[in-house]
Amino acid sequence: MGKQYEIPVGAQHIALLEPLHFKFTTENEKIINTDANVYYVHRGIELACCSKFKFRQVSFVVGRVCGLCSISHTTAYSQVAEKLLKIEIPRRAKYLRMLIIELDRIHSHLLCLSHVAENSGFEALFMKTMQYREFSMELLEAVCGNRIQYDFSIVGGVSRDLKPQVADSIISRLKTFMPQLDELMDIYKHNWTLSLKNKGVGAITKQQAMELNLVGPFARAAGLAVDVRNETEDLLPWKEVGFEMVTETAGDVYSRNMIRLRELYVSIRIVNNIINGLPEGDLITETKAFPEGEATVRLEAPRGELFYYAKGNKTQVLERLKIKAPTFSNVAGMVKGFEGNEYGSAPAIIASYDPCLSCTAR
Amino acid sequence: MKTFFKALGNLVKKPVTTKYPFEPTFKPDDYRGLIGFEESLCIWCRRCEAVCPPGAIVFSQDMEGKQTYHYNRAVCIYCGECVRACPKEGALFQTAEPAPCALKEENINNAWNKLYPEAIESRELYAAEKKRKAAEKAAADKAAAAAKKESEDNSGATA
Ligand code: SF4
Ligand code: SF4
Repeated sequence: MGKQYEIPVGAQHIALLEPLHFKFTTENEKIINTDANVYYVHRGIELACCSKFKFRQVSFVVGRVCGLCSISHTTAYSQVAEKLLKIEIPRRAKYLRMLIIELDRIHSHLLCLSHVAENSGFEALFMKTMQYREFSMELLEAVCGNRIQYDFSIVGGVSRDLKPQVADSIISRLKTFMPQLDELMDIYKHNWTLSLKNKGVGAITKQQAMELNLVGPFARAAGLAVDVRNETEDLLPWKEVGFEMVTETAGDVYSRNMIRLRELYVSIRIVNNIINGLPEGDLITETKAFPEGEATVRLEAPRGELFYYAKGNKTQVLERLKIKAPTFSNVAGMVKGFEGNEYGSAPAIIASYDPCLSCTAR
Repeated sequence: MKTFFKALGNLVKKPVTTKYPFEPTFKPDDYRGLIGFEESLCIWCRRCEAVCPPGAIVFSQDMEGKQTYHYNRAVCIYCGECVRACPKEGALFQTAEPAPCALKEENINNAWNKLYPEAIESRELYAAEKKRKAAEKAAADKAAAAAKKESEDNSGATA
């Protein structure tokens, strides 16, 4: 047995995108044990949602849980509140929600891919991916009026309509993005230097993924077919707009890249279908009721299953709100994924998990 | 090799970034910007204040009952809830103008933290004053009514 070293990484580190802390025990540059601490950015949002804010205002508060999947949080909360109010939202609102969720997934996946490239030492690819990602940010800004905090889903429906010229620009810009995506796919798939850092690195088997209860692209890359879009139909009609499950088998960084890239094709198809088949109708269901009872909602955020629980007591303020973010479910898998890898591969592995710690710690 | 030629080509290409702040960046026409207020149309229902998630709108009230609208652009999250809640079309509207940066002289947040409770208090004072006046008036009315009744009784007794 060689000498063992403990290497702390984080909570602030140049290779980390988020404030999380890993303590690696290494032996001859190989990671043999990992400790993780993820609760650095706790802001007490759940308590604020149950004390300071009225239930209609909470959808704007939970949007601030995370900058990247803001729309997933607001939509999940809106859905859980609608369950408590026992209202059904208009079909047009459902379609518009799905549209923004998918556009958001496009930008989130591209962001993650770019960070994997960066952390693997491929700075130029990072910049290229970021350059191609810009169109999705502009589209989101055109639809929602803001680049990051969309505030699009509100309790009962959506806050803004999709203008015809914006819909046209989405279609045309997706068309210009298609060849760019093909180009990215080609680089991520065939680039030899990148494959050295990505292929066979940070692997998780399907069995492990199942035992550790992984979610999202992390699990799908290991061959576990879990996707909330495939399982629930009652709140958002995903199958109607052409959702299709994507899985890989290897479970390493490379296949996580592939999952994300292939999901982009699915997302683009969904966005096109939504715009072509957008139903007419209202944007919002008005009600004067107060939330009552308990409800749960699951929604597929870009990183995996997002879970919301809420309890109302017929007043303006909720009694309890519980948020479980996808990264929280993946922490166990994240720790496992490092085992037996070179310490030098750790940054790429961390980026490929696509961790979102502000969601996790709330 | 392909990459090499591409790299050479990139040397003569235009940059993909915009030269902000010398050039404007992309901004949609219906950008969620500053909230505008039209005092002549407002019916002072204070619904906008009630729905605003961060509390960026507050109304103060003087002793004559006249309300004044206060808005803090640094607290506002530009969600547009107030505009949706306003029953009077045009009293509140969302412009496409981004908020200007706050300068130190403006003392925007500290002044607001002071103003907010004061505004609420001014309303409470007015309400208390109104209540007091109403109670006074009621007492005066009651006294007048009692006096009247008494005089009626007296006149009845003499009759
Ligand atoms: S836009 Fe939103 S945050 Fe700003 S004043 Fe209106 S309700 Fe408040
Ligand atoms: S909701 Fe509209 S009418 Fe009512 S106080 Fe606010 S601005 Fe005035």
